[in-house]
Amino acid sequence: MSISDLDIHPRIIGSLQKARFQSFEAILSLSSADIERATGLSTGDVSILKQAVAESVPKPPVVTALELLKGSDSVVPIRKLSTGCPIIDKHLKGGILSRGITEISGESASGKTQLCLQLCLTVQLPLEHGGLGGGAVYVCTEDVFPNKRLHQVIQHFTRKWSPPRLQQDLTNLGDNIFVEHVAEHESLMFCVHKKIPILLAKGMVKLVVIDSVAALFRCEYGQGETVKRAKHMASFAAHLHKLGHQYNIPIVCVNQVSANLSSNSSQNPVLPALGLSWSNQIMCRLMLRRTRQKVVLPVQPVHGGRENIECAVRMLEVMFAPHLPPGACAFVVDHQGVSGLE
Amino acid sequence: MPAPRSLGTFPISPAMKAKLTSAGFLTVSDLQDLKPSELSKELGVSAEAALEVIKTVFQEDPGGSGSRRSSTMKSVTALEMLQVERSLPNIFTFSEKLDDILGGGVPLAKITEFCGAPGIGKTQVCMQLGIDVQIPECFGGLDGETVYVDTEGSFIVERLVDIASATVEHCNNIAQMDGSDDVKEAASNFSLEKLLSGIHYFRCHDYIELLSTVHILPKFLSENKKVKLVIVDSIAFHFRHDFDDMSLRTRLLTSMAQSFIRLATEHKLAVVLTNQMTTKMGGGAAGGSHLIPALGESWGHASTIRVVLYWEGNNRYALLYKSPSKKEAVVPFQITMGGIRDVHSEGTTQSVHETGENPSKRQRVS
Repeated sequence: MSISDLDIHPRIIGSLQKARFQSFEAILSLSSADIERATGLSTGDVSILKQAVAESVPKPPVVTALELLKGSDSVVPIRKLSTGCPIIDKHLKGGILSRGITEISGESASGKTQLCLQLCLTVQLPLEHGGLGGGAVYVCTEDVFPNKRLHQVIQHFTRKWSPPRLQQDLTNLGDNIFVEHVAEHESLMFCVHKKIPILLAKGMVKLVVIDSVAALFRCEYGQGETVKRAKHMASFAAHLHKLGHQYNIPIVCVNQVSANLSSNSSQNPVLPALGLSWSNQIMCRLMLRRTRQKVVLPVQPVHGGRENIECAVRMLEVMFAPHLPPGACAFVVDHQGVSGLE
Repeated sequence: MPAPRSLGTFPISPAMKAKLTSAGFLTVSDLQDLKPSELSKELGVSAEAALEVIKTVFQEDPGGSGSRRSSTMKSVTALEMLQVERSLPNIFTFSEKLDDILGGGVPLAKITEFCGAPGIGKTQVCMQLGIDVQIPECFGGLDGETVYVDTEGSFIVERLVDIASATVEHCNNIAQMDGSDDVKEAASNFSLEKLLSGIHYFRCHDYIELLSTVHILPKFLSENKKVKLVIVDSIAFHFRHDFDDMSLRTRLLTSMAQSFIRLATEHKLAVVLTNQMTTKMGGGAAGGSHLIPALGESWGHASTIRVVLYWEGNNRYALLYKSPSKKEAVVPFQITMGGIRDVHSEGTTQSVHETGENPSKRQRVS
């Protein structure tokens, strides 16, 4: 919709075009007195104009919270992506939200990549089983994508989700995971602004994973460039938000940790990296860590037989989320993937 | 006799003022007894525009005798203002201590800002207030409705249902204990569905949508007269990126602040805004950095009351950072399944205490 489509007197539209106002943004950004000066319109005309422009800016219609709960035609329902384990799902009240950015942070080898791989598989399940019926985009900024591990997990996943549990066999799970390697800021921006929207527009992708945000934003910026870094992070996050709400998909970002310098022993020894300017952009923060405990689990390898293996117990903690109470859930990473412990 | 008022002091558009001055009309007495058609000929403007000018400058004599008197701003005495302010109820938060430092709760006809780091509970406070304003008058509430403008997408209905259910239960308990018929009737009408349908939810995905929503709010409020609370969660989110022109940002924020003040005073409703925190380098006690509310110094003037929510260890605290009537104070609070509540400590009698040093300034960057 443009200025000439507004439902106001043509005389006002004429004055706007003469004064070279071309967008709604330009009109709303100026005060009434500025518009009067630029166009020569009267106060009454300008207030009619602003009201018409405000009503024409496309935005979601107002709904009541009851309509949000019960669902209605004008409400886009929030979807939850299952993590593949019912215990962890219960802890997260359904799974990863298709709203905002969910951050998974933790020390190295705490299980972040494993959890993300699992999400790339569960997203391909149909809606009624906790998936979103689409593929995933996996943006790697650190190590090479763990292809071998993915295929190991796929084998077990396909076995677990074969008929009669599902309508039909899951095939080509690996084909629906689009992997992008980016090494610096520019290629990340190109990927997020150009490549990913194409996949999203085709409906092929229902999950975006960035592994990790920290790698890029931590090393490329020098000591005195914190403002520039904050600006880039904010606009990167804003673009991810835009993609997320446009296609109603979850966005997962993996973050590293840094040492907690405030010397309070009761607090966490590590904090998620990238500081306050990044935490202000995310909606949910999950932290993974290893514990010293180990647990012995019986497993059934693909080739048959039974074995007992020893796994390290890890914790998945909800640091903050608008709908979850803070709390932790224990889990292990075995050859099947990520599974919670009671 | 006092000197006649200059035309430049009236709210007329700058273009019109220029025309009036060049035509020789400088004061109110110059326009006396001039017909609109004559004025339009003198100035070279349309008859409607000339009529608008005359209407702005003069106020028709209510007696209808046709003589004009110069319009004056209506003035009220401070006593009248005090009585009006005292009669306006506050929206309580369910945390008695937090209500105390605010002077009874979030006040009507004013802007209250809640600032804090992510995860501290700003959205929870907003949801709690959005429910509390709807509590019937016999339970101490305002029986009003809420407009919730969500810019971040953090409004999750399931969480609201938790808070609303706890409030319904609370009122039912009071009704049980009270026993009188009208209280019981009010409690039976106060259901979860009613609470949820009393929150009008606007979602804004960028600053243009937010600006346009604020523009259409006056019309919405005149159609929904029961609204007594307008929440914007958060005001900072869309203004902290992609703004190369900082003066534009300040202008937009200031004009939004003015719109909110107008909404608050004209409709006698409370405006609650949430803000993020940002790091300020240097200036702290150890020369390190400390946290301050985002959006800059100029935004600091927008809100009447400012509350900073922060962590100290594993506990949440609320600091009354700015208030025209109450002094700076800190109270602990917690977030339970049912919403915002007081912290009940077993050992020490924790009450509102004043602080010398601002505790939020000791907090390290997270």
